[in-house]
Amino acid sequence: MKANTASEPSAVGSNPGIVVSVQGVSMVFPNGTVALKNANLEVAPGEFISLIGPSGCGKTTLLRLLADLIQPSAGTICIGGKTPEEARKSRAYGYVFQAPTLMEWRTVLANVMLPLEVMNFPPAERRARAERMLALVGLEKFARHYPWQLSGGMQQRVSIARALAFDPQLLFMDEPFGALDEITRENLNLELLRLWRETGKTVIFVTHSIPEAVFLSTRIVVMTPRPGKIETVIPVDLPQPRTFETRETTRFFELATEVREALRKGHGYEVME
Amino acid sequence: MTRLSPNLVPMLVVALLVLALYWPIMYLANIPAAQRALDTGAALPCKTAFECATQLRSPVLPSPQQLWNGFANLMFPLNSPNAIPINAAVTALETVVGLLLAAVVGFFFAIGMVASRAFERALLPWIVASQTVPIIAIAPMLVVLLGQYGVQGWLPKAIIAAYIAFFPITIGVAKGLKSPDPLALDLMKTYNANNWQTYLKLRFPASVPYLFTAFKVAMTAALIGAIVAEISTISFQGIGKMLAENSRASDVVAMWVIMLSSAALGILLVALVGWLERLLTPWRQAGARTATPKQARWPAREGVRGG
Repeated sequence: MKANTASEPSAVGSNPGIVVSVQGVSMVFPNGTVALKNANLEVAPGEFISLIGPSGCGKTTLLRLLADLIQPSAGTICIGGKTPEEARKSRAYGYVFQAPTLMEWRTVLANVMLPLEVMNFPPAERRARAERMLALVGLEKFARHYPWQLSGGMQQRVSIARALAFDPQLLFMDEPFGALDEITRENLNLELLRLWRETGKTVIFVTHSIPEAVFLSTRIVVMTPRPGKIETVIPVDLPQPRTFETRETTRFFELATEVREALRKGHGYEVME
Repeated sequence: MTRLSPNLVPMLVVALLVLALYWPIMYLANIPAAQRALDTGAALPCKTAFECATQLRSPVLPSPQQLWNGFANLMFPLNSPNAIPINAAVTALETVVGLLLAAVVGFFFAIGMVASRAFERALLPWIVASQTVPIIAIAPMLVVLLGQYGVQGWLPKAIIAAYIAFFPITIGVAKGLKSPDPLALDLMKTYNANNWQTYLKLRFPASVPYLFTAFKVAMTAALIGAIVAEISTISFQGIGKMLAENSRASDVVAMWVIMLSSAALGILLVALVGWLERLLTPWRQAGARTATPKQARWPAREGVRGG
């Protein structure tokens, strides 16, 4: 499965200023689909990176490769100087999925405690941490509710709290707001930026939405399909902290246009906004 | 108890409907027999075939009045070894013990089937085959075999009940253990959870709703198994033993009364499972989700409290 991953064990990842390093990574699925071709990317600590592109451009594949949920066909990935498998085993990252994937039999608080139970945190600390995380996402009043009693947006906030509960330095987010309505999504975008500023995490964020990518990111990785590849990387120089008004600035529209044109160049037409 | 009442009214409506249908059918079935009895000059306290239809000694179908009297006769005294209560209790014990045995075996097979494709391929056909063997044929054989090792009395019946109850439990639990969303399994992987933790924190809790559905099916199967086992082996107690006795005595009314009692016992035992289910799955209450135990990927509506 991971044929070429171990060929250059120490050549990359030695740079201390790089937390995620992707070198010549390709992913070919057993049915022959080339999901990702020769991807290269380096992420510095504290960055907010968005992967944007139409369906089939390999953005979720790239994220799953980083998380060691699948293994690359070729190339090297380094997460904080470790292989993805080592990084996963040392619990280096939190992962937020497209769906909240909350356990319906657990209360909101117990859901946030789940990773802490698996990782054998002392019981008292589990509770304290989970309560702190719920406060961070503004859901401390819903600790005793069951997931079905919460709206979709609130459920996704619980899943973000859960991913942050064990304090990983890296946060992988796979279209976490993709199924939410525009209004909820814009609120959660603001909230996510606040969390990012307060916690200083490095975030890698998959999205379909150009405004979302521009609003959130420090850099946007534009990806195009058939075969999935990184088309270009666009730095976002919008000032921090960003607010609702940021979306109405000229620079915001210029950047959105730049992303859109990069997508068009790679024939990634079917982008939603 | 208040939770039972919403079921009670529709149940009684159905009972009344059945009774309304039963009455004319009972007359239709009994009038020719009554006519024959009158023709042969049997000593009957009635003059017309219509009147006698409800008073035959061994009716084709007992009249509601005869059933009522039959119940009164067979229910009391409560502690009599020939009355229904004690015998029903013995059958219930065999059924419940059988169900628990079946749960142990069912869990074992289900975990094996989820953990290993090879195990599933090797065993599933045999498990299916085991269920196609007529229980009435295999019950006496099992009793002979178990008797060889000193297992006697109610236990062999419980084992026979378990024999047919483990199948729905195996299938139900296997389905439940496989029910978690692939993303939930990925989630456990990102935590570097080991196999045991994945079972304990994800697969077992996710299978609980399936488990109770399986228990309800298995409970009725186990009850039939216990009764058939009592009929087809030497028994001194139980519903099946009463059925066998009264069958030999050609007591049609008693047969009907015992049959209806065992039906009532079945309703009671399944209701017991339903009650346990409500007790042990508090997260599924208040009409949260009706039938689907699997978590919806996204709630259909935007929650009750807004976001």
